Amino acid sequence: MNRGPTTLAEDVADSGGEAALAVKDLNFYYGDHHALHDITMDFPARQVTAMIGPSGCGKSTLLRIFNRMYDLYPGQRATGEVMFDGVNILENTVGLDVLRARIGMVFQKPTPFPMSIYDNIAFGVRLHERLSRAEMDERVQDVLTRVALWSEVRDRLKAPASGLSGGQQQRLCIARSIATRPEVILLDEPTSALDPISTARIEELLDELKEEFTIAIVTHNMQQAARCADRVAFFYMGGLIEVDTADRIFTNPRQKQTQDYITGRFG
Amino acid sequence: MTQERSHIVKSYEQELDQLRAMMAQMGQIVEEQVGLALDAIAKHDEEAADEAARRDPEVDELEREVEGLGIRLLALRSPMGPDLREIVSALKITGDLERMGDYAASIARRAMKVASEEGKVSLSGLRSMGRLVRENLHRTVEAVVNHDPHQAMEVWHADRGVDEHYLTLFRELITYMMEDPRTIRSCTELLFIAKNLERIGDHATNIAERVFYAVTGDNLPTLRPRGGVRKSQQGPPPE
Repeated sequence: MNRGPTTLAEDVADSGGEAALAVKDLNFYYGDHHALHDITMDFPARQVTAMIGPSGCGKSTLLRIFNRMYDLYPGQRATGEVMFDGVNILENTVGLDVLRARIGMVFQKPTPFPMSIYDNIAFGVRLHERLSRAEMDERVQDVLTRVALWSEVRDRLKAPASGLSGGQQQRLCIARSIATRPEVILLDEPTSALDPISTARIEELLDELKEEFTIAIVTHNMQQAARCADRVAFFYMGGLIEVDTADRIFTNPRQKQTQDYITGRFG
Repeated sequence: MTQERSHIVKSYEQELDQLRAMMAQMGQIVEEQVGLALDAIAKHDEEAADEAARRDPEVDELEREVEGLGIRLLALRSPMGPDLREIVSALKITGDLERMGDYAASIARRAMKVASEEGKVSLSGLRSMGRLVRENLHRTVEAVVNHDPHQAMEVWHADRGVDEHYLTLFRELITYMMEDPRTIRSCTELLFIAKNLERIGDHATNIAERVFYAVTGDNLPTLRPRGGVRKSQQGPPPE
């Protein structure tokens, strides 16, 4: 039963494919609170990596580090390395607007801008690219089609995004994040406020998007992690306990703590 | 095995306990059936033979109940990790136990046919094979109840002895039949009995494999060490 811990190096080594994001010896502090301890793991390119763990385990913190959300708050700091396209994104030399265009994020609650459906998509694109009207129309149609929203909104592109249902709003937010053509998409509990049908649509969407994008998703729903993810990382108390294929994590995890968590024995 | 913590959801834990209890009960009945069938051979005990067959519906009913509960657990609890392995293994183990029960009933019926021809052939080989199968079965059921992968592994290896007994018996019975064609009828029954015992042994190893997987998450090798039967020797006909 007790197989003993495998080293993280071993886990990383067999992660299957080049890493889009490579985290090494990452520590994170909210002021005096040491929230993440020596995290080392890869996010393989064009795979879905899910992060699971109880509330406060650090999984969302890690996600937010990837597009430097913590820069907004004084007293929060990260040490170590997060390599992305040959650059350590924790270094101050990295331009945040470019970083956030290349690493998009979708939050738990749909956050459409208070503008039209069309402009929700066009807004971010305009910040980074100069497109003609026709090119922009094409981009908007393209991303809305890819999130399977086009047929539902094609007749009301100028209508406020707030009129969409929760599931549609969330798909719009995903469309918005892929409109700037990022390499990585971060999703923080993207379906926890959605009904099962909308959830299934988003999960189906993730399956398609991973052909092109690297996806990191934080979820409290283990079945969702099992359904969507290629790899799953289990976090507990700011530490990475285990990262492995979803299959392995949910049928035969190596660590006792992971096992207790996935079977509902934690406490 | 390390002591598991309980589930946070108590009713889930209770349902798993219920599943385990039904498995234990099923194992116990099948053990009794095999014991009765062997008594029927050894002591020409007609009462035991009838009893072995009579218990079959109980086993069938338990199999259905385990299946129902297992499916319910899969649907409603979304089991993961060791729980998932245990439930899936339980569903398969009950299938093996149910087959063992059938074989025991079949042995009991044939034992009564052979009883009338006693004296023409020796039953000692069959008796010792029966003892070994019974002992293995007992240890298999213990491994199921105690979630003991080590014991499961021992049973898995011990089946080699059953295979060897079977091969020896097979040759012995062929010899009887060649020497005296009047024994063909009873020897054929005995051959079937031996084959059924051998099959019970095989199902015990299946169960051992599933226990091992359920507890450790690892599979035993696909090929089990088999006793006696080698290609270069003349073995029993294929099933």
